[in-house]
Amino acid sequence: MSELTAIAPLLVVLGGAMLVLVSDMITPGRRYAPVALALAALGGASALLLQQGGANASALGGAFVAGPFVAYLGLLGASILSITLLVAPDHLALRRYPSAEFAATILVALSGAILVAAAADLVTLFIGLELMVIPGYLLAGFAKRDSLSTEGAVKYFLLGSFSSAILLFGIVLLWGSAKTASLDGIAAAFASGASTPALAIALAMITTGVAFKIAAVPFHYWTPDAYQGSPTPITGYLSVGPKVGAFVLATKLYLVALLPLAATWMPVIALLAAATMTLGNLVALTQSNLKRMLAYSSIAHTGYLMVGLVAAGAGERAGISGILFYAAAYAFMNLGAFAVLTAIQGAAGATTQLSDLSGLGRRHPGLALLASVFLLSLIGIPPTAGFFAKTYVILAAVQAGGWVALLAIVAVLNAAVAAFYYLRVIVYLFMREPASPGPEVATPPLLRAGLLLAAVGTVALGLAPTPWIEAVVRAIAP
Amino acid sequence: MSGLPVLSLLIFLPLAGALAVSLLPSSRPGVIRAAALGVSLATFALSLLMLPGLAGLGSTGAEFAYVEQASWIPAFGITYHLGVDGLSGSLVVLTTLLSWICILASFGPIQARVKEYFVSFLILETGMLGVFLALDLFLFYIFWEVVLVPMYLIIGIWGGADRIYATIKFVLYTLVGSLLMLVAILATAFAHQAATGSWEGAFDLLALRGSVGDPTLQVLAFGAFALAFAIKVPMFPFHTWLPDAHVQAPTAGSVILAGVLLKLGGYGFIRFAVPLFPYGAQAFAPIMVALSVVAIIYGALVAIVQTDLKKLIAYSSVSHMGFVTLGIFSFNQQGVDGAILQMLNHGLITSGLFLLVGIGYERTHDREIAKMGGWAARTPVYAALFGFFLFASVGLPGLSGFAGEFLVLLGAFLASPMVAGAAAIVMVLGAVYLLWMYQRVFTGPLSPFLDGLGTHLTDVTPTEILTLAPLAAMIVTFGVLPSILTSSFAQSVGTFLLYAASGVQP
Repeated sequence: MSELTAIAPLLVVLGGAMLVLVSDMITPGRRYAPVALALAALGGASALLLQQGGANASALGGAFVAGPFVAYLGLLGASILSITLLVAPDHLALRRYPSAEFAATILVALSGAILVAAAADLVTLFIGLELMVIPGYLLAGFAKRDSLSTEGAVKYFLLGSFSSAILLFGIVLLWGSAKTASLDGIAAAFASGASTPALAIALAMITTGVAFKIAAVPFHYWTPDAYQGSPTPITGYLSVGPKVGAFVLATKLYLVALLPLAATWMPVIALLAAATMTLGNLVALTQSNLKRMLAYSSIAHTGYLMVGLVAAGAGERAGISGILFYAAAYAFMNLGAFAVLTAIQGAAGATTQLSDLSGLGRRHPGLALLASVFLLSLIGIPPTAGFFAKTYVILAAVQAGGWVALLAIVAVLNAAVAAFYYLRVIVYLFMREPASPGPEVATPPLLRAGLLLAAVGTVALGLAPTPWIEAVVRAIAP
Repeated sequence: MSGLPVLSLLIFLPLAGALAVSLLPSSRPGVIRAAALGVSLATFALSLLMLPGLAGLGSTGAEFAYVEQASWIPAFGITYHLGVDGLSGSLVVLTTLLSWICILASFGPIQARVKEYFVSFLILETGMLGVFLALDLFLFYIFWEVVLVPMYLIIGIWGGADRIYATIKFVLYTLVGSLLMLVAILATAFAHQAATGSWEGAFDLLALRGSVGDPTLQVLAFGAFALAFAIKVPMFPFHTWLPDAHVQAPTAGSVILAGVLLKLGGYGFIRFAVPLFPYGAQAFAPIMVALSVVAIIYGALVAIVQTDLKKLIAYSSVSHMGFVTLGIFSFNQQGVDGAILQMLNHGLITSGLFLLVGIGYERTHDREIAKMGGWAARTPVYAALFGFFLFASVGLPGLSGFAGEFLVLLGAFLASPMVAGAAAIVMVLGAVYLLWMYQRVFTGPLSPFLDGLGTHLTDVTPTEILTLAPLAAMIVTFGVLPSILTSSFAQSVGTFLLYAASGVQP
């Protein structure tokens, strides 16, 4: 594989973003043309990623390593973007938000995510991260005439840049201690597992920065505001895209560069994981706004994903493959849930209160059924993606044994707590009388396609997980 | 029939039926009802056709009939593994029987959202049959959880005034237990993988039985399984969801809950928890026996003071199911035979009682015992049928309830005479609360409340008799000839006892 083929998917995505912007300059204000262009770019990039599949190939002087890992995450990213691009345009158009800027922005974010996945050194990793999260700040403030959106965006931006700075500090200290920026080189430099004061500070700063990015307790405060303020389909993207990307960053840092120091960081991550799951779920119990509820539920899911990180730190490869599988399952079910929320906001200015869903099962049985599939998957009821994903991560924790197995028990007890607030939504869907006037439901064809895609993913990963298991196992094969 | 995947057909026929029913127009409830009944009757017929295939099990040396095994998630050795023996076969027939009875009994009471109701019920049937037929732990767990969702909807949508509280309580209780069971399943599978170096058979019941060596794992895993099953049975002190769920559920929901769902717990103990972790089971046995006796006595005492008919029968279930767990943990032939008989009999008798309470409720829209009185004067057939099921529940010799409880007591006596003595007192208590209830509701002068209903207080209809008659016939048959049943699951009990005994020494 030549250098050019290695970075080709990245170039196609970036090129797509440019093309979307240029086309919008020529014929401004089109609703579907930018989306079609962006989807074409994603299709092209996916085809290239599928072709790469097999062996690793490095480019850009060894800073960029393409291979099955990048292919898996790139394809997952393309799926996330496709669903978002299908769900968003009609919702945005109704509120007079431009769809071209939107499409271009998330394409740039995807290029950042690909860079994170392919990064072989600290600098590329950090650049990829920023390229991924800066579009996120823009998107959070997309509803620029809405004060709630602006507040959320400012909070997100301030805390995000602050955490990036802390992370960068940690990265620099790590670089200095190891005297190399290469991730494999750092692992080799600390192979003895011995820690120094500088390294301890580096670890603390990296952990803080990463915890911000994945929205782990106690660095999660920005999430509910950022999520609530953004237009619903954008919230869906924000709850999935940057989170999955940040977990890729975490696996690169903790499970490649810092793996020899696992004994030092594992207890901290484990503690954060337990706190994140528990607090996320407990606060979600008290929410009556669905977006805030899903924001806290996404914090809880961060906690479950961190269990995989800890198990992988204990030496279980299933921990990493569990994270990758969970990321895909989480993407489909969460995007699906937000797509349902988008559908019930058929009128500009519509809210997303729990009571808006009252009796939806009577008026829109199909939509309510899909909503239930996503909710049951978020709980982890078989045979859905969410069930198998949880099982995968818990299996890794059980395999790791010792105190890590206790984390598995914390995780399942949390799943039972979480069941309460997800089930409450189903209560509103099916067991309450319809509110009058109910919300205006709009399911334009594109939104339907997005919903269907999310639903197929949610069910397929649960019923026939084998191809995905093979894909994640191949993705992390040494 | 040998070449066909009989068990898969059996499991997925109701699901296919649910799909078909969901495509019917909501405006034609009559068609929907008929289709649901047709599907459930076909499933019942198929389960009966399956029975002759079980006859040869003992002599051929095979433990399970109609075995199907296909690779499903090879990365973890998870297979689609089904099989049926005398124990699961009899529970499968109980399930298919009660399913069509419930569907028939719902024709009148369920008038709102008819299609969704019958779709839920058919999915529920698929889940229950899957639990009884799965031989792979992962598959078993999936069906176990699948049962939850339709039951959640049935109680939550078609239940009484407090239905939402009751249904969420039901799901959360069950979920806490089952999720810990999932961890135990994974730990067991991983221990197998670590010991053999491969995932092959790591979730397979037949490969895992007798191979879980680590005593600590046995105790912990048994604890987790036992919690899941104890909540489902339900054993004291995990029973508090049951009265709420029963009172709020629609009649058919109560029937299937008492008739089949509670049996999932007892079945889980016999098929999975004890054979997989015999050492853990022996370690826990004293606690399980003690809790069983407490449940038997406590359930009966609380039943005495109930003022609501359904709640009274719900608590009597706690008491009767205590006999099941008592029998299982006696670890002897009589006890386990009795436990399985008691499961089947409770399924027949309590289902009948719930159906009868539902029939009464249709006419009075009330279940308050204090408001009733002298009912027998107006509706003699109803009173007679109620009396029949009531005496079966009390354990009148000649009706099936007697054989199960007697065998359990015999088994318990062989294991520990004191325990048996304590449990036997309850035979008397059972007579107290049931007969006293009967006296207050059916005898004496007609109460003003019932009198006020005038001509609404009609006797049972032919359809209602049709739902009760098969149960009554089986209660008499198995009361006179319990050996039909005990001989059919003799081999299952033998295998169970073999594994249970292996746990005395770790």
